[in-house]
Amino acid sequence: MSTSMPALDTGLHKTRRQYKWWRRSIRNILLGFYALVTLYPLFWMFMSAFKSNADFFANPFSLPQTWNWSNFVRAWEVSGMGKATMNSLFVTFVSLVLTLFFGALTAYIISRFEFRGRGILYSLLLLGLLIPIHSTLVPLFSMMNMMGIFDTHAALILPYTAFELPIAVFIITAYLANIPKEMEEAALVDGAGYTGIFLRLILPITLPALSTVAILGFLRFWNDFAFALVFINDPSLKTLPLSLSVFADGFTTDYSLTMAALSMASLPTIIVYLMFQEQVMKGMAAGSVKG
Amino acid sequence: MRIGTARKLFIGFGLLPSVLLYAVFVVVPVFWSAYYGFMDWKGIGEARFIGFDNYVEALSHDIFWQSLGNNLIVVAASVFGQVPLALLLALLLSQGTWFQRFVRASVFMPMVLSSVVIGIIWSYIYQPQIGLLNGILSFVGLEEWNRAWLSDPSIAMWMIAIPIIWNFIGPYLIMFLAALSSIPQELNDAAAIDGATRTRRLFSITLPMIWDTIKVAIVLCISGSLKAFDLIYVMTKGGPAHATELLASYMYNNTFNVYRYGYGSAVSTLIVIISLLLIAGSQILMRRNNQ
Repeated sequence: MSTSMPALDTGLHKTRRQYKWWRRSIRNILLGFYALVTLYPLFWMFMSAFKSNADFFANPFSLPQTWNWSNFVRAWEVSGMGKATMNSLFVTFVSLVLTLFFGALTAYIISRFEFRGRGILYSLLLLGLLIPIHSTLVPLFSMMNMMGIFDTHAALILPYTAFELPIAVFIITAYLANIPKEMEEAALVDGAGYTGIFLRLILPITLPALSTVAILGFLRFWNDFAFALVFINDPSLKTLPLSLSVFADGFTTDYSLTMAALSMASLPTIIVYLMFQEQVMKGMAAGSVKG
Repeated sequence: MRIGTARKLFIGFGLLPSVLLYAVFVVVPVFWSAYYGFMDWKGIGEARFIGFDNYVEALSHDIFWQSLGNNLIVVAASVFGQVPLALLLALLLSQGTWFQRFVRASVFMPMVLSSVVIGIIWSYIYQPQIGLLNGILSFVGLEEWNRAWLSDPSIAMWMIAIPIIWNFIGPYLIMFLAALSSIPQELNDAAAIDGATRTRRLFSITLPMIWDTIKVAIVLCISGSLKAFDLIYVMTKGGPAHATELLASYMYNNTFNVYRYGYGSAVSTLIVIISLLLIAGSQILMRRNNQ
């Protein structure tokens, strides 16, 4: 505005611009400070993971004097993280496949077919999101004992999938609502069965929604602690968060070792987050609105 | 006719796995714990029907009420800490420059970490000898403020509320940003031309326009407060002297440490009832305020 009319760039304009500049600077300094405070605990964790214990005690705030990779090797061995990582990978992967497949199938049927009890089914699914997960620990524990799946991978995979289904169905149904049905109807006329339509049309079309569900599911399954704590006893079946929890009471004096273990366990989710930031943020916000 | 049968079969078999999983692992546990809440049961052997004894015992137990009080502290910290802070950040972050996107991504970052990792990091921050907090206080000359933050029953619960706010603020920020961006710019422009100041516009336009989102956020704070179990388990196990006991940890300890499954089931049921009551109550309260 002032560039087009330089003659009008009077003192009044200058003070207004100065005022604006000051306000923006103060805002950015405040925001930068907040970001720093937020990130510092994580930065501290990664830095401490490279320190020797002596260095950690002497200089808690500074960068490591020497970058020690041996903490990571030791942490990996001491807490059995190799085994735990395999367990986490397996449980997360199977739960994800089940959640995606059955979530998409249910969403497809709910959004494209008229049948009795459809509305009830959908509301019942959404209502389930209000049930506090921790209130199911005790009954699920007893039920799993009776079903004979306590202390197996199934004891995690089945409840993970069941509790993630509502969010999956909700996200995929919302996505399908904006997709025209013409293609499916044309395929039906061409003689394709519903199963074929689901596998060859619906799954590829809903890929964006499926990827959101997959990212949310990955974070939830990979990070879950409560279910693993109650449903898993056998040390060889422990998932990562559970194997880390030994550091909360076991090895508390070996701080840099603990920090190395925490860093390694957090790296996968942080990488996924950095790669899919927008999707993670939007998906988790939407997921928590309905959860 | 044949198409009709194929359709029915597809709907039936398509929904069966999801419905079964959801019913067994999400719906049944609620009724299961309500049922076993009426039993005197050690987890194995005969369950003996004792009527409302468990429920009466819980409701007349000091620690139960203390746990409920602590849950309400978490709710209060979320409603009066998380919501205003997220709103303030959202108001400052409406530009979307790379710096602002960086700040937004940083604020969200803790959401992708396991609660075990968060719990251990914050235990170290609060640790009396090597902890960051005491270190920083000493550094700025406030050494006399140093203390064992988590062992002091009078402040332990409030100290735990801080990582909870830090951890869960991200989704609220994203929700508020989405709500703010949906306010038509013309509205603000028109008000500015009419001479409304920034503050005036904030209270007369912005806040009323996103009031529904604020309501949703408050409901989420209430249901989310029950998720704090993981952090408590890792950081304090409910101690010292039940100072940080939550309903969920109270239930956990009674069930899996002293093997009172009937009693734990009763507490589980109470958790479901209390959380539904709180959510319903907050809805009604805010509907009235809105009129």
